[in-house]
Amino acid sequence: MHSSPFTLHFEQPVLEVRGLTKIFPGGTRALDDVSVSVPDGQFVVVIGLSGAGKSTFLRCINRLLEPTSGRVILDGEEVTAASLKRLRQIRRQIGMIFQQFNLIKRESVLINVLAGALGSAHLLHSLIGYWPKADVERAMANLERVGIAEKAFQRADTLSGGQQQRVAIARTLMQEPRLLLADEPVASLDPATSHSVMRYVEQINREDGITVICNLHFLSLARRYADRVLAFRAGQLVADLPPEAIDGAKFREIYGEDAVEVEVA
Amino acid sequence: MARVEARPLARPPMHSFPSSQARRVRLAIVLAALVVAHVVGWQMAKINIPALIVGLPNMRHIVLGLLQPDAFEPIRDVTKVESELTILPAGSPVPAESGRRTVGTPGGPQATVQPAQVRPGQPVYVQGSGWPAGKKGEVLLAASYGGRPRSAGAFTVAPDGTINHAFYAPASEGAFDLVVQVVTPRFGWRPTETLLLSLRLMVETLFLALMGTSLAIVFTLPLSFLGARNLMGKTRVGRAIYYVTRTVFNLLRSIEVVIIVTIMAVVVGIGSFAGVLAIVVHSIGALGKLYSEAIESIDPGPIEAISATGAHPLQVIRYAVVPQVIPEFLSFTLYRMDINVRMSTIVGLVGGGGIGFILTQYINLLQWNQAGTAIWLIAIAVTAIDYLSAWLREKIV
Ligand SMILES: Nc1ncnc2c1ncn2[C@@H]1O[C@H](COP(=O)(O)OP(=O)(O)OP(=O)(O)O)[C@@H](O)[C@H]1O
Ligand SMILES: [Mg+2]
Repeated sequence: MHSSPFTLHFEQPVLEVRGLTKIFPGGTRALDDVSVSVPDGQFVVVIGLSGAGKSTFLRCINRLLEPTSGRVILDGEEVTAASLKRLRQIRRQIGMIFQQFNLIKRESVLINVLAGALGSAHLLHSLIGYWPKADVERAMANLERVGIAEKAFQRADTLSGGQQQRVAIARTLMQEPRLLLADEPVASLDPATSHSVMRYVEQINREDGITVICNLHFLSLARRYADRVLAFRAGQLVADLPPEAIDGAKFREIYGEDAVEVEVA
Repeated sequence: MARVEARPLARPPMHSFPSSQARRVRLAIVLAALVVAHVVGWQMAKINIPALIVGLPNMRHIVLGLLQPDAFEPIRDVTKVESELTILPAGSPVPAESGRRTVGTPGGPQATVQPAQVRPGQPVYVQGSGWPAGKKGEVLLAASYGGRPRSAGAFTVAPDGTINHAFYAPASEGAFDLVVQVVTPRFGWRPTETLLLSLRLMVETLFLALMGTSLAIVFTLPLSFLGARNLMGKTRVGRAIYYVTRTVFNLLRSIEVVIIVTIMAVVVGIGSFAGVLAIVVHSIGALGKLYSEAIESIDPGPIEAISATGAHPLQVIRYAVVPQVIPEFLSFTLYRMDINVRMSTIVGLVGGGGIGFILTQYINLLQWNQAGTAIWLIAIAVTAIDYLSAWLREKIV
């Protein structure tokens, strides 16, 4: 639907990446001249071997890592050219979830969700821990959406992995983002839990129209959730194709000749 | 490939000999240097074992002081009146009015001393009324300019509360305070002046440590973030600030508190405030290093996650850093408080106020029992804080 030929030419892409390159101080070329354009509402899955540059790609988009060269453009604005102050405003548009969930372990679930609203919160109020009623209500509603409202006052580290990732999703929902970056969000979860978490990601993509770029290890998950698959190899974008187009030959091209596909239930 | 010749993992014998000999020579040189250093050191440090053995008995003062600290005394009812007695030079004429002197409260204990001026060897009569019947009493003479009172005889109060006592004036002329007193022991003990004073100064010392620690925290909390590499290492300016902060911490930490007190005593004068300042300065260095290292060891994940939401750097610290470091900060702070209590007893020895100050005075005046009291209090307080701090730290972690 989003990639229909009629809208494609008129609609501005949410994300435009041009010639993105990241060379680490050690000399590792983790991203090598990557260009890609992501239309609004697309669910993009990034695959590739460990070390292929998937995480680096996501981190360069919101500049958790500074790219060595190239441009990242979000909704027509160049992220890579933004001042630090402007970058903070742009980051509010980009949610991010991580393999290790990255919650504040000793704080309550509710505080963790509220933290997603820090970018728009009153600085002093947030520093003394005061949250407006509206934010708290929104946080509870978002917890409701990921099905763990009853855990709101529990410490975050008392939750299971799947529950923690749902808290992280609720946290990004507080940002009401345009784009969600997910860096292997289910890599530390069992297969069944993986699907339950991925379904929440899919849900916010379909219902809220939030564009998703998600790194995944398992091709089966990619086939199940992706509108489009980007494959990285040694920092280069080697394939950009619909999920059903990944056949055995493509698979070996991406993962190497010796690779065997593993299914996730 | 062809079969590999089986060869033992032999060390070449010609090679090992000179190297092991070289090692032996090096060892011999090091040992010889150590022996020389210790021989010279023995003389430089003026080590004198006989002096230790001969002087050891001097320890008995301190040991006795510790065994009999001036801490509690039995409660006694003391009924007394004070009068005066002038002892004239021997052979001087007796004044026409040798006088009599009545002191005390009418109805209460009263005593009349007659005569009030007397020559050595002449009798002095002490009569009175209103004293606790049947109790034993004593007359004391003490030179007016001070000195130990000496007894001028004991008496027993008559059933009607009167006393009737006589003694011969001693052969030492001058003005004397004459004290008539009846001491009645009662059941129980009460703290002595020394104990009360030492207690007050011990409390002062604890507060000295508290203020030193708290003021140090006020400065260290913000500074420690500047001394954390994971927060500051991202930019060139940040790295410069990091190095400066860490260097300052190391400098402050390396100067002993006792040295800082003597400097501070020059600035603000001898007293507790100098002690507080010294503890503050040293604690900033010590706590700063511990705090910064605690910050450096946190999980960077939450920092990334909170930064990615578009949060301000201060919000990142408040939400991603602070919750992670709170338990360690508390633990380090309690540990520091514990050390500072010990330090604050020391600072008094060099002019920093508190109990250490009075302890040096007692020792200089050879008041061993009083010194014993102060030492006991220090030992008890330090041990108590030590246990309390350890217990609290265990609760937190
Ligand atoms: N901070 C860093 N400093 C130096 N090299 C790095 C750094 N982070 C990543 N790299 C290197 O960059 C390359 C790409 O790493 P990246 O983490 O993006 O891979 P990935 O595709 O996410 O792998 P994985 O599936 O294991 O998460 C790797 O060779 C990695 O060693
Ligand atoms: Mg990765």
